[in-house]
Amino acid sequence: MMLVFCFQTLKAEESDASGRLLVSKQILNKYIVQDMDLIVKYTLYNIGNNAATKIVISDTSFNSDTFEHAGGQLKATIDRIPPGANVSHTVVLRPVRIGPYNFTAAKITYETGDESSKVQEAVSSEPGEGYIVAFRDYDKKFSPHLLDWGAFAMMTLPSLAIPFLLWWSSKSKYETLSSKHKKNQKD
Amino acid sequence: MSALVRLAVFAVFLNFAASEGCTKPEITSVSYTTQDATIVTNIAFVSEFTFRCSGLPSDVPLYAEVGGSVFPAVHIGREKYQVSWTEEVGKARSGDYKVNVYDEEGYGNLRKAIRGNYEHTSPVEPLSTVIVNHPATYQGPWVNSEFMAAVLAALVWYLAFTAKSKLLL
Repeated sequence: MMLVFCFQTLKAEESDASGRLLVSKQILNKYIVQDMDLIVKYTLYNIGNNAATKIVISDTSFNSDTFEHAGGQLKATIDRIPPGANVSHTVVLRPVRIGPYNFTAAKITYETGDESSKVQEAVSSEPGEGYIVAFRDYDKKFSPHLLDWGAFAMMTLPSLAIPFLLWWSSKSKYETLSSKHKKNQKD
Repeated sequence: MSALVRLAVFAVFLNFAASEGCTKPEITSVSYTTQDATIVTNIAFVSEFTFRCSGLPSDVPLYAEVGGSVFPAVHIGREKYQVSWTEEVGKARSGDYKVNVYDEEGYGNLRKAIRGNYEHTSPVEPLSTVIVNHPATYQGPWVNSEFMAAVLAALVWYLAFTAKSKLLL
């Protein structure tokens, strides 16, 4: 649903000997459900000819009143990404509120590694709008419904068991009668 | 739900002496893995750890090696690092994952060893090792409950039918 995998190229300087980063932000979920994991993966590719250094990823797009942290940090620093290499960073969050949510871009700053040592600002790709489903609705659709089927079995049990027991009692009664009758005939 | 998602806390104090500078690394880690794979496409493995070593300056760049792939550990605070990776749901095995932590020197040696021109005879020793435990991945029930109900209903009908046909013989 939300595997948006587009890159936003950066307004990097046009010099050849500088590091240039492409940053993708992906939501690795089929459904976004309240109180269940939401996996956010940032992948940084260095397409430049020099190493990018002091890379700071900072994602403020997740409201603290809508999301709880489960694992990983939304602000992280990577010391160095060599040219041609890629580095990923994963964060797990838990949505606590339901409703639509616009997943916007993360901000990245880094040094391009050339003489200017200017701090370059960049933004990641945007996963886009998603909808956080209530856990109850998700459970209704995907849970095994064991309780419901158990209740169904209990309700159907009398209509099956009562005729069976009636038949069983009459059957055993006739069987004892017929066996007695056979015994009497033999004697 | 909370039973499915548990935090595994490991405190590892290992004495791997990789470089002369760092002899007693102190490492404490908290790890998190996604256990309910019904709504996600990948399993996330996240390990956050604090690393301190008397012989090394604080906040040195660290590198991690998991199952043959090497990547930098990300700084998330003072002496705090994060190592995270994702794996496809079908490929993520359960159990302990060993995260070997290296400093710059060890990382260089490791890369040389991977390329096949590492000249030392002993293997590259990590500074320390962090364990990330992934208990299991829940991918939904084995059998659909409606299928189970249908099978049970068919069984009951079959028993009743055979009993009835025996009576009429």
